[in-house]
Amino acid sequence: MRAASNVPPVTRRAQARLGIVLALPVAVVTAVFFVFPMVSALYYAVVDFDGLDPTPPFVGLSNFTEMFTDTATWHALGNNAIWIAIGTAAPMIIGLLTAVLIWSGRRGGPVYRVLFFLPFMLPGVAIGIVWGWMYDPVNGWINRVLGAVGLGGLSRGWLGDPDTAIFAVLATAIWATCGFVTMIILSALRNVDVELVDAARIDGANAGQRLWHVLLPQIMPVFLMVLTLTLVGGFSVFDIIFIMTGGGPADATEVLGTYAYSSAFQLNRISYGTVLALLITVLAVPFTIMLNRLQRRLSLQGMGA
Amino acid sequence: MVDVPVAASRGSESAGQETVRGRDVRRSGGLLARHLVLIAMAALTLFPVLLIVSTALKTPQDVRSNPFGLFTSFSLENLQSAWTVGRFSSYLLDSLLLSVPSTAVVIVISTMAGYTFARLPFPGRTVVFYLVVLGLLVPFFTYMIPLYFQLRSMGLLDSLVGANLVLISTNLSFGTFFMRAFFSDLPDELEQAARIDGASESRIFAQVMMPLVSSGAAALTVFTFLSNWNNFLVPLLYLPSGKYRPLTAGLYNFTGGRSMDIGPLAAGTLITIVPVIVIFVILQRQVTQGFISGAVKG
Repeated sequence: MRAASNVPPVTRRAQARLGIVLALPVAVVTAVFFVFPMVSALYYAVVDFDGLDPTPPFVGLSNFTEMFTDTATWHALGNNAIWIAIGTAAPMIIGLLTAVLIWSGRRGGPVYRVLFFLPFMLPGVAIGIVWGWMYDPVNGWINRVLGAVGLGGLSRGWLGDPDTAIFAVLATAIWATCGFVTMIILSALRNVDVELVDAARIDGANAGQRLWHVLLPQIMPVFLMVLTLTLVGGFSVFDIIFIMTGGGPADATEVLGTYAYSSAFQLNRISYGTVLALLITVLAVPFTIMLNRLQRRLSLQGMGA
Repeated sequence: MVDVPVAASRGSESAGQETVRGRDVRRSGGLLARHLVLIAMAALTLFPVLLIVSTALKTPQDVRSNPFGLFTSFSLENLQSAWTVGRFSSYLLDSLLLSVPSTAVVIVISTMAGYTFARLPFPGRTVVFYLVVLGLLVPFFTYMIPLYFQLRSMGLLDSLVGANLVLISTNLSFGTFFMRAFFSDLPDELEQAARIDGASESRIFAQVMMPLVSSGAAALTVFTFLSNWNNFLVPLLYLPSGKYRPLTAGLYNFTGGRSMDIGPLAAGTLITIVPVIVIFVILQRQVTQGFISGAVKG
């Protein structure tokens, strides 16, 4: 592709040969461990596989019709929706404001960046364990703090109460993702034209107006990229819920990921689990593509191309 | 948490209309408020991490009587029992056996493929590239269940080789994309000059171009290692018997096992996160670069 016109044919053939050799490993691994199981997933979706039967019966679309009439699917999907809405909006808002605070705070940027980013680096299991302690009904710090400020009446077993469990896990996830958003946005803010911000200040724009009308448009491509990543992560959330509540209490925190896992590996309904997992893909991929397009268009405009 | 930063930015709101001197005073006040908010948030961020450290380093009796009191005693007993009785020494070894080989292979394959997709056109390249990119779009969930049975029929279930291969494949799309961005940024003149000097295509790759992306490869190494170290789902699914068990899976198993033994559990958690924290603090530039340039350039 690049500068193909002024490259002599001999070179082009040598390049193609080396190119094939160098791309071979990635092609093989992708074919065996990605493409092949993807195709199998489509096959599993139209049979009724229990994990043992080498020739599972063909059932057409009945796995899909079952999925759409299964109230548990809709319940899980509803939790995914809560997760996506709050689990995207909260880190985006908190992360954006934190980044702007660090950016305008002049000093200590590197230190804050390391501190805030740390939770994002920690394994989900460790996060789940320590937040389980935070939410502990008797000794947990959340209840201790509530008691100390006179709100002891609110204290409860946060993860054991079906009304609060999903939000308790969400709060943990938000704690773990905010730093990621902060760091990416902070890196984008470095390229912002400060003179525009100062000009807006002189024209009497307040902090909110400066953020909304001056800063945000300049970092829009990066903002959308982070939005895509958090949003798509919301469809395939698994680790943190599986570790903290396992989908319980009484399915209160069940999402598509945990439902697919338990269907396949605990109830041996391999095909049904596969169909549920396919639903995650069908929901997540269009979002990714759409937002990617938008982001690309904006970043091209931004560079004046 | 949400309304705090709003309150802080309000402090600097009216700054615009004051006299120059008044504005300076106001703005330094705003600056102080900003840092107070940031420090409060940093405390909230760090608190759970401190809770792990404190609980792990308490005496077992203290953990029983006051499990989550901060730094009320000091002992290495919990670490000792996690290391020996809790089998965390063998979990640590398995974590290394899963993270190191897979990371090395990811870096090698991604560098090769990244170079090809950036600079070496060949027939069919676009198709292969789109399949690799597809790996970035499709969640692991989609194919994790069929992959289990595929590994079983290949005899790779419950083996380090099988789990390593899965970790490699799940990181390859990002790695290839990432390295491709670095190779694309290199100027064509370098390549042309080397070619005029009579260098073969493979020499241009190995001796001219590859050294120039070493910072990218370093960032990718750190990033991939951490993502493999932290991976939970792959050992959970593909190492089911517990013959091999990395720290993440070991920890999870520990929470499910017998009575919740908080002291050793905290110690095990500490063993799991200390390498992550050390690597991150020392190599944070590489880690963050891994995220930023990979994501932004891609």
